[in-house]
Amino acid sequence: MSLNPLKDVPEPNLIKDIFPYSLPPIIRFEGKIKEIIDGREVEFDPESVIERDIHITDTTFRDGQQSRPPYSKDQMTRIFEMLSRLGGKKGVIRQTEFFLYTQNDRETVDACRNLGLKYPEVTGWIRANIGDFRLVKEMGLKETGMLTSCSDYHIFYKQKQTRREAMDQYLQVVEAALEEGIRPRCHLEDVTRADLKGFVVPFVQRLEKLTENQPDHLKVKIRLCDTMGFGISFPNTAEPRSIPKLIWRMKEECGITEDRLEWHGHNDFHKVHINGAGAWIFGVNAVNTTLFGFGERTGNPPLEGALVELISLKEDLMGIDLKMVTEIAEYYQKEIGAAIPSNYPFAGRDFNTTRAGIHAGGLRRNEEIYNIFDTAKLLDRPPRVAITDKSGTDGVAMWVNDFLGLEGEKRLTLMKVAKIQRWVMDQYEKEGRLTAISDREIEEQVKLHFPDLYERSKNRRK
Amino acid sequence: MKREEVARRLINVMARELGKKPDQIKNEHHFAHDLEADSLKSIELVAAFEEEFDIEVNEEDALKVQTVGGAVDFFDKLLK
Repeated sequence: MSLNPLKDVPEPNLIKDIFPYSLPPIIRFEGKIKEIIDGREVEFDPESVIERDIHITDTTFRDGQQSRPPYSKDQMTRIFEMLSRLGGKKGVIRQTEFFLYTQNDRETVDACRNLGLKYPEVTGWIRANIGDFRLVKEMGLKETGMLTSCSDYHIFYKQKQTRREAMDQYLQVVEAALEEGIRPRCHLEDVTRADLKGFVVPFVQRLEKLTENQPDHLKVKIRLCDTMGFGISFPNTAEPRSIPKLIWRMKEECGITEDRLEWHGHNDFHKVHINGAGAWIFGVNAVNTTLFGFGERTGNPPLEGALVELISLKEDLMGIDLKMVTEIAEYYQKEIGAAIPSNYPFAGRDFNTTRAGIHAGGLRRNEEIYNIFDTAKLLDRPPRVAITDKSGTDGVAMWVNDFLGLEGEKRLTLMKVAKIQRWVMDQYEKEGRLTAISDREIEEQVKLHFPDLYERSKNRRK
Repeated sequence: MKREEVARRLINVMARELGKKPDQIKNEHHFAHDLEADSLKSIELVAAFEEEFDIEVNEEDALKVQTVGGAVDFFDKLLK
């Protein structure tokens, strides 16, 4: 092995084209992804995401609501309005779907539509039977999702049908939708555990045939539902778990175009976000998500994670207002009473809070060392430190300076805050404390040791 | 201020902060290895030196000093 020469440089190479800090880190690709399908090599071009209309569809009010007590009409209307601001005018959050089964569901749809917002578009969700279709018609929706379960687990064990009976029933409801001028979106439930060649492909081919002569706004959409989180986005995984193979068959063997393909995942194996992002890469345009990943059992792809991913892939904010993530998280926690884990990315209380003294030291010197991107500008969430026996004098100095709003030369040195750090350490070493020091307690210490600065900073904090 | 005066005052402060007698502190002593000053104690020492001489020092430069003699050099230079 020959040793590569060290490039000793006078200035740091911060690789700013990938880590601009003003945006989440950029994702770039270098070449095509190869996959073996039916013994032959096929290619996927990940760079196509730059040009394609990749976007997010939301199911906070449908799948998201299956994991929690029902939202009130007012709560849903407020969340709908906030989703619209979050996704921006380009409609990155393109659609959101609603149950239509209760009076509250239907009144909420009306209230949301009455806001007059362009995005997200309102769509429905029904089980695939003709009786339920009446609800969509009465609400005057342009598109509805319908449950079309695909695996034999569902067809044989849940529906007690043969494949033929199931397919005929699904096609019948789709025809009814088309007759009413409503776009059908078929949710291929449990598709990652289904017989692709024996049922899924023949069914989707028939769906495509049904709408091939329809105008674009009525052509069938396909939602690929990874109901149990079995999907795998690694290359060359065997079917039916392979996400790239599934997408390829939908496009190449069934003729479903990327603008009519959608991915819907579940987090049973901790793969929910990366599978959604992978589906974008492998060729669907829409990834179905919920706010904070709330959804049936382990949840769905988190909407805010998908937004950050989309920005990284597009290298552009795309009109997204990420600060709304912070506003919505506050709303969920204060008004709805939902719990968001403190370490939850982008929205948890401590997602960019460090407790390690060595990290706090880095943050004090340059926040880019230990902050993922400019979270103050993009999320309205500057990086923070939490004070424990591990946060060190650096942690205390950062906390105190940020609390007092001191900048540049005015920031207090480690020596100035040493007495507070000694108090912190005494709490653990002499008092036997096992819990973190609260913000309120540190504030009291600041008041004690820096009374003038504390008084002066009061106005800023109001 | 003469160097001897700087050294005497510094050693008195060190003795007080470290719970030792002044004659137990030698020029060649290393703060961490010989005087058992951990990182917080080192910061507290610099804070006490600042108070003693009523000055403010550069944090990074001051915390690079590792021996008693080094501290005398550092403050002697600063106070000249």
